[in-house]
Amino acid sequence: MPSSATETSLLDPTFLRKLERLAIAAKQVQLGATKGERKSRRKGISTEFADYRDYVQGDDLRHVDWNIYGRLESLYLKLYQEHEDMTLHVLLDASQSMEFGSPSKFLFARQLAAAIGYIGLAGYDRVALDTVSGTAPRGPRPMRGKGNAARMFSWLDSLQAGGGTALADGCRSHAMRNRGKGVILLISDFMDESGHENAIRQLLATRCEVYCLQVLAPEELDPSLAGDLKLVDSETQAFAEITVSRALMKRYRQNRDAFVEQVRDYCVGRGIGHFLVSSSTPIEEVTLNILRRGGVVR
Amino acid sequence: MNALGAFFLNPLNLAFLGLIPIVVLLYILKLRRTEVVIPSTMLWMKSLQDLTANAPFQRLRKNLLLFLQILILALLALALARPFITAEGTTGANLCVVIDRSASMQTVEGDETRLAQAKERARMLIDSLESGDRMMIVSYASTADVHCELTDDQGRLRTALDSIEAADTRSNIRDVMLIVRSLAPDNPDIAAVVPDLEVFLLSDGKLSDGDSLGEINVPVNFMRVGETRENAGITGFALREPQGVEGPRQAFIGVHNERENALETTVTLYYEDDALAVEELTVDAESVSNLVFALPDLDTGMLRAEIDGEDVLAMDNRAWLALRPPERIRTLIVSDSDAGSAYFLRRALALDARVELSAITPDDYADTGNHDLTIFVGWTPEVLPAGTLLFINAVPPMEGLVAGDPIENPPVMAPDRDHPIMRFLSPGNIGIAQAIQVTLPEGARSLLSSRETPLIADISTGLQRVLLLSFDIADTNWPVQLSFPLFVQNLLAWTPLPGSAAQASIMAGKPIELPAVPEGGEATVTHPDGTTSIVKLDPSRPVQFAATEHTGPYLVTVGERETAYAVNLLDKNETSIIPAETLEFGKAELAAITGAMQFDRELWPWLVLAGLAILMIEWWIYSYRAHG
Repeated sequence: MPSSATETSLLDPTFLRKLERLAIAAKQVQLGATKGERKSRRKGISTEFADYRDYVQGDDLRHVDWNIYGRLESLYLKLYQEHEDMTLHVLLDASQSMEFGSPSKFLFARQLAAAIGYIGLAGYDRVALDTVSGTAPRGPRPMRGKGNAARMFSWLDSLQAGGGTALADGCRSHAMRNRGKGVILLISDFMDESGHENAIRQLLATRCEVYCLQVLAPEELDPSLAGDLKLVDSETQAFAEITVSRALMKRYRQNRDAFVEQVRDYCVGRGIGHFLVSSSTPIEEVTLNILRRGGVVR
Repeated sequence: MNALGAFFLNPLNLAFLGLIPIVVLLYILKLRRTEVVIPSTMLWMKSLQDLTANAPFQRLRKNLLLFLQILILALLALALARPFITAEGTTGANLCVVIDRSASMQTVEGDETRLAQAKERARMLIDSLESGDRMMIVSYASTADVHCELTDDQGRLRTALDSIEAADTRSNIRDVMLIVRSLAPDNPDIAAVVPDLEVFLLSDGKLSDGDSLGEINVPVNFMRVGETRENAGITGFALREPQGVEGPRQAFIGVHNERENALETTVTLYYEDDALAVEELTVDAESVSNLVFALPDLDTGMLRAEIDGEDVLAMDNRAWLALRPPERIRTLIVSDSDAGSAYFLRRALALDARVELSAITPDDYADTGNHDLTIFVGWTPEVLPAGTLLFINAVPPMEGLVAGDPIENPPVMAPDRDHPIMRFLSPGNIGIAQAIQVTLPEGARSLLSSRETPLIADISTGLQRVLLLSFDIADTNWPVQLSFPLFVQNLLAWTPLPGSAAQASIMAGKPIELPAVPEGGEATVTHPDGTTSIVKLDPSRPVQFAATEHTGPYLVTVGERETAYAVNLLDKNETSIIPAETLEFGKAELAAITGAMQFDRELWPWLVLAGLAILMIEWWIYSYRAHG
């Protein structure tokens, strides 16, 4: 039963309950340890028995299982599961360009951040929220546990989009401040004049699992413009004078596809998950289906 | 501005072209584009660059709508200036096409006749009819015919036009004037129905009648066909009887030369199909030469005169003449040799050269049936002979005719002046010593009567003409009065002369008069081209046979008897084919229009249509760009 503190305008309570059954899937954590699920940390417990292996010279003798040696007269090393402190980084592009579309991309991004963040909190992961672009304030200190859900929601509620896109700077700044290993989810439209590659490289350098969620508004995916227009860039105030024509629209669609493809290629080539979603897609659909199939949650 | 006036009816309106800069201005103002804020112009910029790179005429395409708008405005300004071109055809909404089909229209110029040229021009007029226009087609030769009343049915008009055929007659435009005048707008009955009637008269302008009917309030265009004057033709062909002298009959031939130089030709005279005589003839330019042939002793038959050589109008190179025996009225007087009446009659009858008089006494009388007129004086046969009969002081044995006692000094009462016998007579002062009292049969007509008895009566029975005088001429003072020889002349005129009264030559288009035939029946008329017509004859009055539009010999067969008639043009007006420069129509003198009929066709409807079309194209381009 969610408390009143967890109520938010971003997500409805029924959906929150569904989210509680999900968990963030962190492949990296499992790589260095045993196969099987990632354990939650309990208070006072730092390690847990995992397996045995043959002793080789140089191993720490403190980890030799002497009871086994007593019975079998051979040296076995006792292996313990080291419980990593998994951090879920949710990075929001809060530039002015996100405040666009119906529904707005930024609302969609905050809802998605709230949902993913709530999954992390419910799974007792460390959740670090942050904005990587725009004039919005930097994120709160990382938080853990459902008890912090209300704090997370209120911070997300209070966010305002504004300012230009500078993904690379935002990503580097976040990586410096939050060293925790884990999963990084970057929610942006990737409409960065300076390019998205630098930003993604910054995130890769953290050795976290990175997922890029590209949000585009329906108006961007399939614009319904007509006549002689002066298109003004919401961030740079640069403008393009166009006379809408069939040829122009065709060319726009080609360029749009090429742009998305470019981001996807860059991501996939570096083992980064990439998802393109329209801001009109229901959040439930994104979390319960798209991210689940993409291996972000399970 | 004067130069522009040659192309525009209202060149001042070209000033509207000055609005074009305003359109450009409006276009520039309009191009303050609607601002649309979008998240990023990144993709649009790239698309624009791509497009510009791919389309060198992008700039032009951007301004296409402006060009179209300027074009529309220019077209509308031009339309307001009302440009026109000179086109063939007419502007009239109600046309009356009058086609001359008289003899001169058969002139062949180039490959076709003037009539064909006129019909071709009329066909072009039909083709130029626009929707709502109507036309009527009238042709005229010696009379006018309406071939098609006002209609907009071009098919019917063409059919009517095709049905017009040439006639060999003179042209008589009076009927046409009557038709046109009846359609004039000052005719209150017509004005509402046929406003703006315009007449197109297609003719070479050779008219035989200059009759003026006064003002005709309809615009008439005289569209002249024909160029040449290279024609000669027979304009006179007549028989000359010797007058008072013995000698042969003569044929007189007049040849008219319309050319600008003298004509040397031969004139051949045929009897039936045998050449009788050939004579060289020189006719000076634009003049007439005459030729006289002495005829051998010919009684009846058909004479034909031909001039040599073909020219542009062939039909006037031949003429015909029907030869008839000299006219005779065979008259028989049956009387006692010492009868005074017979004496007076003989003297009066001798005045007329036609009378072939013979006399006989009643004792010697026998019905020979050879006399046109038989006069019985104081005696009557038991059986009446054929022919016209005059009974003087004798009452013939006829049913209903009863003779009574003689009456002394009967006073003369008013005559019946309507009867041909009584024409010009004033017999009021005749003194009659004695007359027979007569009771007339039913149907008889008393022409001069006394109180008790008719004095002169027409007692014709059915088909035989019989006249009765109930007194003896010798017993009156009538023979010394002027009215007596007049009476005799009337009597001769009243006597029908079967077969001999026909004219030697009839003008084409005029009727052939078929004399009354007592037994009635039908006459078969054989036309020059061999076709025949059947005419029903009237027993009591002549019948007019009017289908004589073509020249040549006509043969009328009544029973066994055949009579030939010659139908000729013989009209100098038609033979002188030089086209007229002007034509008098009513009081107007119309100048000939020789070229194509031209009028100023206004172009503004086309310009407005083009403007509308471009407007639609502009709209389509706009919507294609906006929603495509």
